[in-house]
Amino acid sequence: MAATADKFERMMNLLAALLNAERPISAEQIQRRVAGYASEKEAFRRTFERDKDELRSLGVPIEVGPIPGTFPETEGYIVDRRTYELPDLDLAPDEIAALHLALQAVSVGGPSMEEGTTAAALWRLGGVADGTPVADEDHLAEIPVDGRQSILFRAVLERRVCRFSYTTAGASAEREVEPWRVGYERGHWYLTGFDRNREATRNFRLDRMGVDIKIGEPNTFIGPAPEIPDTEYRPWDDGGPEQVRALVRFDSDQALWALDALGPDTLREVESDGSHLFEVPVTAWEPFRSFLLSFLDHAELLEPPELRLDLVNWLQRYAEEDSP
Amino acid sequence: MSQKLTARETLERALAIVPWIAAQGGTASVEEVCRRFDLGVDQLSSCLATVSMVGVYPYTPDALLEAFVEPDHVYVNLPEYFRRPLRLTPTQTFGLIAAGRALLSVPGADTDGPLARALAKIVSMSGAETAVAIDIDTAPSGILMSLQAATADLRQIEIEYYTFARDVWSFRVVDPWRVQALEGNWYLEGFCHKASATRVFRVDRIRAITVLGSGFHVPAELPPLDVFPDDAGLPRITLDLAPAGAWVATQYPVESSLLLDDGTTRVTLAITAGAWLERLLLRLGDDATVVNAGPGLEHARARASRRVLQRYLK
Repeated sequence: MAATADKFERMMNLLAALLNAERPISAEQIQRRVAGYASEKEAFRRTFERDKDELRSLGVPIEVGPIPGTFPETEGYIVDRRTYELPDLDLAPDEIAALHLALQAVSVGGPSMEEGTTAAALWRLGGVADGTPVADEDHLAEIPVDGRQSILFRAVLERRVCRFSYTTAGASAEREVEPWRVGYERGHWYLTGFDRNREATRNFRLDRMGVDIKIGEPNTFIGPAPEIPDTEYRPWDDGGPEQVRALVRFDSDQALWALDALGPDTLREVESDGSHLFEVPVTAWEPFRSFLLSFLDHAELLEPPELRLDLVNWLQRYAEEDSP
Repeated sequence: MSQKLTARETLERALAIVPWIAAQGGTASVEEVCRRFDLGVDQLSSCLATVSMVGVYPYTPDALLEAFVEPDHVYVNLPEYFRRPLRLTPTQTFGLIAAGRALLSVPGADTDGPLARALAKIVSMSGAETAVAIDIDTAPSGILMSLQAATADLRQIEIEYYTFARDVWSFRVVDPWRVQALEGNWYLEGFCHKASATRVFRVDRIRAITVLGSGFHVPAELPPLDVFPDDAGLPRITLDLAPAGAWVATQYPVESSLLLDDGTTRVTLAITAGAWLERLLLRLGDDATVVNAGPGLEHARARASRRVLQRYLK
């Protein structure tokens, strides 16, 4: 108990000193002038480093910079009140209550989401008059997140270029992307941005990124484009520059799912029996074949002939595998 | 509620509570502070007792924060530098925007209401106007709204449903218990009179819905929704997956997954129905080798290949 209170008091004192400082203050000054630190140098160092990390993990923007007038130049620490303080959002009570309800209805979380992070966000906004804790179960909707989302979100906000390894069709490659938007659709998270390697706007699925996402310095690109394209990621459109147009017919009772997956602009015709005819731009054939096969015999690839032939060959390879 | 808070938890609350009390003119009722910030009276007292010892060098009374608790009220008086709460972290901003936008994407949401207004303020503070897009509305909205209404009013329904695993359509009378979105899909859970058992249905596979008159009772205790229901007694299949097919192990509830020395992933799956397995094996092609197949599953790929081929070779 005493240890916890001491640590809380010491961190509050450290924060007070950093917020109150007019110029960066040195570690040595902190050791002498902030109540609660050990006089022994090594013990102080360890505690000070831990406190700093913990304050930063709460979002306290501790800056490190040279102390003016020191020679040789000494580094010091400071918190700029303009970046520390929450701007006045002027949230009405019903608006805070609505945010609280949204957090109860939709669980944005997962194993790596810090427990209670969003509840603490509401405290910073002033708390909810009827602040019953956010329930853990029976959400209207659950959106799984794993930590990549908030790194990328920060990169979008601060215009930091992202680097990550990206896997498509079993092969990984490093990508360098100017991030524009983090999106969630159909159960998947996407990053939309400008792919510097391919020099084009691309959508990336977060679950195909390596966990080690590196973000660069802030404000290192201009953007995003005034119109950010759809988040929809279509794996058959993630190939090279060569594009074919595939003509496909879907049976009427499955046509709505095809329409949903392919997008309305690819629909060419609804035939008299209710079958739907689509013309689909394809740059990666294997993912498209896989998509077609998930419709079993409710879909038929009509054109181009070489892809139709490939599909028939594919099926023929397996059609006789059960005969001795 | 009265278990000990860690130093970090206390700090997190203090940085919100203390400025909030200051903004109320320096005083507030103990009861309201505890309710707003989810802590007990003793926790609040010990938090403020510590705060009253905080300040800056030389820690003379004029350099300290003022804070004290009386039986009903708390009082604070703060130096300028502690009067505003700490701003939100990117993770917190992201969590609020994601939850809020998800709720606003549900059919029937009030897009001019308090939630939309609150989000607009947070978004404009963070500069995140276009940074996050969330859409959990993947089901045809008419169906979803009818289901939500039937669930709320406890009205039995008949649905026309596509069973993906068996590739068949059927009519089912269902007592709808709840509707939930999980991992990007909306699900209906209820008692299915056709199966005489609890069933979970994907809302986007419901083609038509008719509201029947009769009411029903929802079980008092519903366990968390399980979209991959208990599968004891189902036949199993064991597959060796090449690296390009290893996504199966993360996408489906595999019973076991083992990475072999040559980079192959060996998985065992419970199979509810043939069509599901057919699709999987057809799509994987040479990236999957059947190691062991339960009764009825042995020739799934060959059978499906012949059926699809008929469409091409007629």
